[in-house]
Amino acid sequence: MAANDESQSTGTADNLHHVTSVDDVDDGERVVVDVEGREIALFHSNGEFHALSNYCTHQGGPACEGLLTGTIDVDEDDELVWACDDEIVSCPWHGWEFDITTGEHLASDKYRLPTYDVRVIDGELYVEF
Amino acid sequence: MSSQAAEPDTVRSLDDLDVIVDTDFHLTERQADIFPYLEDPFYSLLNSQGEGDDYGYLGRVYPAHGMVYSVTVGKADSPTVRTSEDVQKGKDLIEWDKAIATPTQNLYLAAVHHDDLAAALARAYNKWLLDNIVDTDEGVYGALVVAPQKPIKAAELVDDFADESGIAAVMIPSGSVHPPLGNEDYYPLYEACERAGLPIKMHNAAGTMMTRFPTQWQSLNRALPVHVTSHNMMHQVNLADMLTQGVPVRFPDLDFVIQEAGLGWYPYFMRRFDHDYMGAKFDAPMLEKEPSEYLRDQFYVTSQPVEGADDPEYLNSIVRLFEGENSLMFSSDYPHFDFDYTDALMKILRSEFDGDEIKNIYGETAEDVYRF
Ligand code: FES
Repeated sequence: MAANDESQSTGTADNLHHVTSVDDVDDGERVVVDVEGREIALFHSNGEFHALSNYCTHQGGPACEGLLTGTIDVDEDDELVWACDDEIVSCPWHGWEFDITTGEHLASDKYRLPTYDVRVIDGELYVEF
Repeated sequence: MSSQAAEPDTVRSLDDLDVIVDTDFHLTERQADIFPYLEDPFYSLLNSQGEGDDYGYLGRVYPAHGMVYSVTVGKADSPTVRTSEDVQKGKDLIEWDKAIATPTQNLYLAAVHHDDLAAALARAYNKWLLDNIVDTDEGVYGALVVAPQKPIKAAELVDDFADESGIAAVMIPSGSVHPPLGNEDYYPLYEACERAGLPIKMHNAAGTMMTRFPTQWQSLNRALPVHVTSHNMMHQVNLADMLTQGVPVRFPDLDFVIQEAGLGWYPYFMRRFDHDYMGAKFDAPMLEKEPSEYLRDQFYVTSQPVEGADDPEYLNSIVRLFEGENSLMFSSDYPHFDFDYTDALMKILRSEFDGDEIKNIYGETAEDVYRF
């Protein structure tokens, strides 16, 4: 989930895990960090932060290290259009595509990457779990 | 089971396997790899233009389908495998003990429109393979690639290279071979493989397979191979295109009936399509659910001919696998020579399917599908 302003965190010190400073992740960039044994990718995209598990639900590939792009969709007239720009990450192993705002797999609702709440506190980024 | 009871024959992880063999480990050979090994006249003719792009201009002689796909648009990585270091990376990831290296660009070799160049490319590829990739100490074996356009030259190639250490097989790039591989043209090649004690791998490339389909049909010179393959192949081509273009989405109230193609390919096709779709939603953007769900919801299959009727376990499981209790409809194909008598199928299905399901297959489903 995204948390894009200084949220009134409900998190306690125990469940907030520092990732890095806001300044270290420009819009369009991402960091992959190890938090207590979990590999978590934190994206800064279109002004929002999103955190997802970096473990692909397909065969365990580094899902969040792949291309961050959009996808082709169809509009009302069935014309092909470009959609979800910079919100679709493709696992580099076999190209499974996930929506970084929800963790959902584009082709099937059977699969989803776990997501984490992101907190911004005093210019620092935390994930919550 | 007690946790300390050692069960030597159960496999819980890769560690429980004695040996892992990857029988289709692909290389991603490029023009720059092959060129130095190309023999004249082609070396002198072609080698003046340098490397070009990643594939080089030789890439243009290998026909392909419209390759707008996960790898070409960068959504999936396809690591380069052109050196033994690259091979080692693959070995570390896949954890094989042995692998048989097969090509990528040369999967398209049979569709190259220059038979002599194709034969020269095969020879160059194999020399490169032996010099740079094959390494039996590391379990890296190779398959000799031959150009099926020139079966005699292919046989000579096998004779020349078969004794090289680490050659485990001969590979025919079989997509679009013309004539098909039963033709006597290929017998010299087969004899050479037999002499060498090497098995033949056949490997299609998706982009070449259909380039000669109509003419391959022409040159299947008996009825049997046509009848066994063409019904289901044609259905697969049509269904794949209909699904990709979103036909069942555009016409959600329309039902489709697939006839006279056998059954086993159908659960295969559903799963294969779903499998490919998982990484290529952008290529079928109309779809709102998995392809197999459209097949289950809007497509029906008629029964005759039923393959494997002497194997109830097979047939029952196949029908279950495509949820035939909802979509299979009895047909006899009478009076064709291979017609099914009315209760032949029922006698088998009865051991697996309950009364309601049999009733569906024998008529209830048809009542719903057809406007009687
Ligand atoms: S492991 Fe991620 S797409 Fe296969």
